[in-house]
Amino acid sequence: MQAAIDIQGVHKQYGEKVAVADLTLTVAPGELFAFLGPNGAGKTTTIKMICGLLHPQRGTVRVCGHVMGVNGLAAKARIAYVPDQPFLYDKLTGREFLHFVAAMYRVDSAARDRLIADFLARLDMHDFLDKLTQSYSHGMKQKLVLAAALLHDPDVLVIDEPMVGLDPRTVRMVKDLFRERTRAGRTVFMSTHTLEIAEAVADRIGIIHHGRLVALGNLAELRARAATQHTLEDIFLQLTNPLAGDADHAVER
Amino acid sequence: MPSSVDAAAPPLAGLSLLVRVKLRALCNRVSSAIAEAPVRFFATALCMALVWLGLYFLFRAIFIYLKQSPLEAAVAIPMVFSFFFVALLAMLTISNAILAYVSLFLGSEASYLLTAPVSPRAYVSLKYLETLVFSSWSLVLLGLPLMLAMAEISNEPWFYYPLFLAFFLGFVPIPGALGLVIAWATARFLNRALRRRLTLAAGVVGTFCVVLFVQSVQVNEQEPNLWLNEVLFRLNFIQSAVLPSAWVSRGVQHALQNNIDDALGYLMVTIANALFLSMIAVEFVSARLPVAFDRAASLRGGDARPTRSPAGGPAGWVFFYLPLRMRLIAVKDLRTFCRDPLQWTQLVILFGLMGLYLVNVPRFSNSLAPLEGWGMIIPYLNFGAISFILATFTSRFVFPLVSLEGHQMWLIGMVPLTPRRLVAAKFAFAMTVSVSVAVSTTVLAAIMLKMPLGWAVMQISVMTAVCAGLCGLAVGIGARLPMFGERNAARIANGLGGTVNLIASVTLVLAMLGGMGAIGVRNVHRGFDGPVDGVSLLIASLVACGGLTAGGVAMLLGARHLRRLEI
Repeated sequence: MQAAIDIQGVHKQYGEKVAVADLTLTVAPGELFAFLGPNGAGKTTTIKMICGLLHPQRGTVRVCGHVMGVNGLAAKARIAYVPDQPFLYDKLTGREFLHFVAAMYRVDSAARDRLIADFLARLDMHDFLDKLTQSYSHGMKQKLVLAAALLHDPDVLVIDEPMVGLDPRTVRMVKDLFRERTRAGRTVFMSTHTLEIAEAVADRIGIIHHGRLVALGNLAELRARAATQHTLEDIFLQLTNPLAGDADHAVER
Repeated sequence: MPSSVDAAAPPLAGLSLLVRVKLRALCNRVSSAIAEAPVRFFATALCMALVWLGLYFLFRAIFIYLKQSPLEAAVAIPMVFSFFFVALLAMLTISNAILAYVSLFLGSEASYLLTAPVSPRAYVSLKYLETLVFSSWSLVLLGLPLMLAMAEISNEPWFYYPLFLAFFLGFVPIPGALGLVIAWATARFLNRALRRRLTLAAGVVGTFCVVLFVQSVQVNEQEPNLWLNEVLFRLNFIQSAVLPSAWVSRGVQHALQNNIDDALGYLMVTIANALFLSMIAVEFVSARLPVAFDRAASLRGGDARPTRSPAGGPAGWVFFYLPLRMRLIAVKDLRTFCRDPLQWTQLVILFGLMGLYLVNVPRFSNSLAPLEGWGMIIPYLNFGAISFILATFTSRFVFPLVSLEGHQMWLIGMVPLTPRRLVAAKFAFAMTVSVSVAVSTTVLAAIMLKMPLGWAVMQISVMTAVCAGLCGLAVGIGARLPMFGERNAARIANGLGGTVNLIASVTLVLAMLGGMGAIGVRNVHRGFDGPVDGVSLLIASLVACGGLTAGGVAMLLGARHLRRLEI
């Protein structure tokens, strides 16, 4: 089966600083993958390479079989990216923004209206969807960009810190939404610092540290690797311990 | 492909969709500005109309003056046009390069659109169009009044107006295309350190060239014709046929002479080159955008800076007189100012131009000597220009200081520092920057005009009071009418409080100018001869006291408001 995301031997550095070192990672269709790591570990750089914003100095990134950088537009038509600081046109209403996104991805108007009505109900956006986005709180913005990202039913959803600023009800709803998508064969690639969420919803977890993938697998495999039966938080802290050597932790491929 | 997506259509968002959404946002912006702040909206429109009319009458007066002598008009008017368009070419190229760099490579919209299936050509075309629209302010603000004034005094036929507009529209894409390629090259090849060094080197070389040119065309009072010939010879390059500005300049002049065929010929040359250059630039940059974006995004991190003591180093010495906590805040603001090119470059450019003019003041002296009272008029105009530049600076950069602290609420609400001291620390920073530029420019003006010591001390003292008044108003009103939820300093400055501050600052400057004008009128016959008389001294003291009082009262009100404020 063709991988949804296929990262092979990717290396990226900014000047002297190595951001991502020889990263190899494959995420399958229908998988919810949680990407963890301390600040500055290389998570955002990896995500930006998956989305085609940055280009690796070595290696390749494929999304749904399309090599990013060679056939980037075809890949971008099948991916959606929600950054931690979402972008919105502040002088558009939420509805106008959704119409714009739908037109950009060539979603026909009937499907668009049906999907907007669905998100309106599920994400409880009635009160603010027709107001200018400049007046939105962070949580409202998160809901709107999530709806916009899902409008074209992307094969791969890449999302950075999805739960920040959301109320508990919406967090629950977003978790359900992620599970629905993976059941439908879509892929969710999620970067987060909220380890409880990763522990609760992820099929597999990857931990990056100093640009290297130091752990990869489901929770049971990570526990085995860290030789502990404790929580993901304990595993994470053990694997990203600044006093431990990095090379010892690099995941074997 | 997902079921809801139209699989038959190519998965690319085109330029028309992007333009439509931008126009929608623009309509929303205008309608919400009218609905939310109608007074501000119409006041801004009125101010722009007044500036526009002022420029129109200024150009009209210049052309009427030049027309009085047919010989001078024949030489000077083509030179005025050539100068205008060559300056426009240079300014638009630079402003387009900056705008294109910011919109193509910085900001979250760039990241957003580049992760969507938008073709690079559509994206670059959109950004190119945006920069052209933004940079066309010169057409509205400078070009229209210039051309309308020219047309009015020349009794031009009707076709002059659409032809002139077509020349402008055909001309603007040429610097736009150059700017687009410069922006791409900057992102692709120049890292932050190299960019800084090149900018510094360009500034030094540019200043050196200007000084060298000014020195080389010394006024020759005995042989004015020789001098004029020499100046025209040295400036002949601006009429070179390879410069796009020369095509527009010549075309407009042909239109003015009712020579429609030649005018249309130059128009066609301009439009053809504009279209060709635009196409080449957009195609070139589109094909190379991903690598340039990658380079720009990869180098965005910023350079490491040496750690300095929070209140130490040169910045700390400047505020040695302040208590430690106030000094910490003033030093922080000064470092922020020095590290924000938007702030210091504006001051450097405005006061640099002022300094350049002042250095050349002695050259005008001989020409102005026969006019009675010039000795009082020039310092008065200098004083007014410096004060208005300062009012612009304090309204744009000092006023938002307190509001911007709203995101570090501990500084306003938690740190053991009284609001009065916080306001005083902001004032100390603003006053330090303002006094260092405004007073040094006033001193330079006094030296260049060979002003006697007594008069110079009086001017410098009143200028210091202007600084105190404007800084006090900006800090005080900034604390009284803060906008704590906003991170964007420009939006804070454009808000209600910013508008109130701008009006108060302009009123204060006009009032102080009125006082200084009264001194000028009193002494118009005798000039600077003799010591400062008692009445002039009294007026100057009252003017200075007025400035200090206005600033002081505003700060007291601001501090009192902060004390009662619930954040």
